[in-house]
Amino acid sequence: MTSWLQVTPLAVILIALFALPMILFLAVSFFDYDRTGIYPAFILDNYHDLVSSPSTLRVYGSSLKFAFIVWAITLFLGFNIAWFLIFHVRSGKVRAVLFLACAIPFWTSGIIRTIAWIPFLGRNGAFNQLLMALHVTTKPLEFLLFSDFAVVITYVHLFTLLMVGPVANSLAKIDPALLEAARDAGASRWQTMVSVVFPLAKTGIALGSILVFTQVMGDYFVVKQMSGGQSASIVSALSTEIAAMQYPPAAASAMVLVVFVAVMVAGLMRIVDVRRELVQ
Amino acid sequence: MAHTKARTGNDGISRRGLLKGASALGGLAAGSGALTGFPTIWAQNIKDVVLHHAGPPVTAIPQIAAQATKDLGFTVQMQATENADLLNRFLSQSSSIDCADVSLTASKYLVGRDVLQTIPLAKVAHWDKTLPLFTRNTYPDGRQASRQGISPYNVIYATGPDGRKFSDHPTEFLTGVPTIANADTLGIRPDLAGRPITSWADLISPEFKGRAALQDQSTVGVIDVAMAVEARGDIKYGDKGNMTRDEIDKTIKLMMDIKRSGQFRSFWTSFDQSVNLMASGEVVIQSMWSPAVTAVRTRGVPCVFQPLKEGYRGWGYTMGVMKHVDGLKLDCFYEYLNWYTGGFEGAFIAREGYYSAQPENVRKFLTVAEWDYWYGGKPAATDILDPYGKLMEKAGRSRDGGSFDERMGNIAVWNSVMEEDRFLTRKWNEFISS
Amino acid sequence: MNARAPRSRIGDRRPWTFYALATLFSLFLLFLYGPMAVIYLLSFQGPDGGVTFPMVGHSVFWFEDILRPGQMANIPVSFSRSISLAVVVSLLTVVISVAAGLGFRRRFPGSGALFYLAIASLVMRSLLVGFGIGLGFQFLGWNTGLFTSALGAQLTWTLPFGLFAMFAVVNRFNRSWEEAAADLGASAWQRLVHVTLPILLPGILGVAVGALTLSYDEYARTTLTIGTKNTLPLEIYALISSATSPTLFAIGTITTAVSFAIIGVTMLAIFRMQRWRGPIGRQHG
Repeated sequence: MTSWLQVTPLAVILIALFALPMILFLAVSFFDYDRTGIYPAFILDNYHDLVSSPSTLRVYGSSLKFAFIVWAITLFLGFNIAWFLIFHVRSGKVRAVLFLACAIPFWTSGIIRTIAWIPFLGRNGAFNQLLMALHVTTKPLEFLLFSDFAVVITYVHLFTLLMVGPVANSLAKIDPALLEAARDAGASRWQTMVSVVFPLAKTGIALGSILVFTQVMGDYFVVKQMSGGQSASIVSALSTEIAAMQYPPAAASAMVLVVFVAVMVAGLMRIVDVRRELVQ
Repeated sequence: MAHTKARTGNDGISRRGLLKGASALGGLAAGSGALTGFPTIWAQNIKDVVLHHAGPPVTAIPQIAAQATKDLGFTVQMQATENADLLNRFLSQSSSIDCADVSLTASKYLVGRDVLQTIPLAKVAHWDKTLPLFTRNTYPDGRQASRQGISPYNVIYATGPDGRKFSDHPTEFLTGVPTIANADTLGIRPDLAGRPITSWADLISPEFKGRAALQDQSTVGVIDVAMAVEARGDIKYGDKGNMTRDEIDKTIKLMMDIKRSGQFRSFWTSFDQSVNLMASGEVVIQSMWSPAVTAVRTRGVPCVFQPLKEGYRGWGYTMGVMKHVDGLKLDCFYEYLNWYTGGFEGAFIAREGYYSAQPENVRKFLTVAEWDYWYGGKPAATDILDPYGKLMEKAGRSRDGGSFDERMGNIAVWNSVMEEDRFLTRKWNEFISS
Repeated sequence: MNARAPRSRIGDRRPWTFYALATLFSLFLLFLYGPMAVIYLLSFQGPDGGVTFPMVGHSVFWFEDILRPGQMANIPVSFSRSISLAVVVSLLTVVISVAAGLGFRRRFPGSGALFYLAIASLVMRSLLVGFGIGLGFQFLGWNTGLFTSALGAQLTWTLPFGLFAMFAVVNRFNRSWEEAAADLGASAWQRLVHVTLPILLPGILGVAVGALTLSYDEYARTTLTIGTKNTLPLEIYALISSATSPTLFAIGTITTAVSFAIIGVTMLAIFRMQRWRGPIGRQHG
């Protein structure tokens, strides 16, 4: 009963402002449309067009590829950074300052930050100038900007903190005495990690993974900006459709994406049930 | 969707304004409209009116709203929104918008969706000053202008007062009044291109592999490529602005090949990107806007808005009014419309490189040197400043492409939304994801 | 600091992992601030310079430009709108997601559905969410506005983040504290205020900062629900699609400078609060 009271505000907001509009779009995804309007109907054309288009498979493949690479990198970085902050930084105040130092760049508008990548990574950008000044290369590196490389770098830049947060919160729960005990019992560093740390930190890792994964799968802006429009994401097709006021196919592709990601998350939940972990 | 009076205002005051306005109008019905430009509405009634004008960043400029508020006696608020979002805002929150700059392509989407109301021709004070290119699709010398793509003539007339359908001949009911237009072409870096650029075909020439860019918008990008493809002789279109499925298929297939060859360094979406790409040397040839070319040049980087032998790609905006606007507010809108096309706004944007549909009015608000430079195509007699007083061009330089007549008189095709829009959008998505 | 004792014993002689991880962390910070350095540098561009290198002299011209009446006229006012919206969103997100985080500690009918609803809200294309909310307001005859539709649209974005962050926070919470307090006769409210919240405080502050950041920078859900007055991201996005100027970078530089100042103040406040919080918080560590 208390639980219900506690989740009611969340439920009300998500249902009224998210679920209801989405039900509307679910209905619209079966509608017919042309240039000047949408027409109530029940047709599967929008889904059929989506599934039959060769680009759909391609963008899902490419988004999954990005999601996996970015997940691996952010997990590595996020775990190690969280470990450093929780177990190596001794003062709580220093820890808070370091956390915030990671957050501050994000208080400058994302749009402004994106503009800065061109003078940074571009052909004649700061990074290439630096490399050439250090004689690392003689010719500017072209692949730094408007490439898959640039997309991954930007994702890592944006999303690592999403991994650090939950993982750090999980690690903080581990009593350092436990680690010491494991070591005293003769466990190697790696054994301690696998048998002590991971089981205790897996909730944080799972939550961080959900955040990173959903963000990459739902992204549109980064792929568009950093690949120079050369690659597409799942959502970029949808955006072209919205720009042309073609709501039914946009709604259909949004629904497919949501179901796809929900299934992926459900799969993850079979490995680490985040909600069961909460129930003590 | 029924629009009630209660929904009209955003300010809570307008209902009172409406009641007052109704009585005021009773007394003035005969005079209203006939004396436009003259305060036909009583000042004490209109001072509470707030007219909300939504537009793209190109036109929704705070200074213009401030000047209108000063001149007209009621408040004009402007809100700038990026183009694609603006179109969606018309639907998602049309009641928080009173009037708007509607691009010619956007009106193709909007008319039929019951968002805009028509403007009776009789309310438009400067119709006779609006160029025949916009009202009749003819040039001053009587030549017919290109109707490929969405020319103003294609979309400004509605069949009736309900504004649900376009008329193919002039009527008394306008979907919007033409305000801004321009002729776009390719921007190039003459220092890096290595040779004179004369044709749209150069956009897809292998010489510029990895150093060309396109605007990432299907209404513009496809047209730019179609110009290039046709210029190179690959495809001959019936109407580039309204391709058949077959033509779209062929064009997109060709574009995919070109893309795969690594021709394009980037597809740009914002003004800022297009400037950066050019200024930083990432790109030497790309679709571009006139003020972006100037922005590159003011950084001391050579850049030319290159006139090409096949002609220009035209675009334009009209001023439209939302369906829910009525009563006193509607009268205020007409006042504002006639102020807006009266020259101040046109002069303001002229200093950024855009044209007004009523050049005669604009002339009154420009210095002789400015007029000669921007519209006359003559070498600048004095330094040319932008609307904010910054140096734009040094004395002695003339505008790329020459005079208004040379540029707007040579439109090959307009930005377009095609009949096969649904098909094109799918194909464009395949192209972008390939 | 008794709970820290064993840990600092480990750390009396720093293991090699400390140096490895400290290096990694420093590199990460460098990576975060690399592109930012470009922004800071270019914001001091001379009056004739642009948003890319080379620098054409140096000046504070673009900082003055923020306040000069002109193209940037709407920046200061939209900034204050964004900040006030972000603060409200952040407060609401904290209250609602802390409550929900605590509520999710027990299974209740519908908890699974709510969980996946939150997932869906994270993935759904933001523009569509905003569009749907805008249409809803239109349908009900309500006016869209900053603290109505835009606030709601942003909450659909920040709440799932807040909820998942709270999962990680609540997960480390040992319920025996609450039970001990109950045994001592504390009321539910007393337990919440004197036991639960103080222990969760660092995590809650994290959620607050996160929600503030997300809201302040939100574009796609806000653009179709904002009503008649733009927030800062909308204004900036509009600006870059018609003009380009290092003023935008000057805004970035100022934001960073002000952020560091605010953090100094916040640290002081947190320090005070920790002293006030007393032994329970410390033992929890």
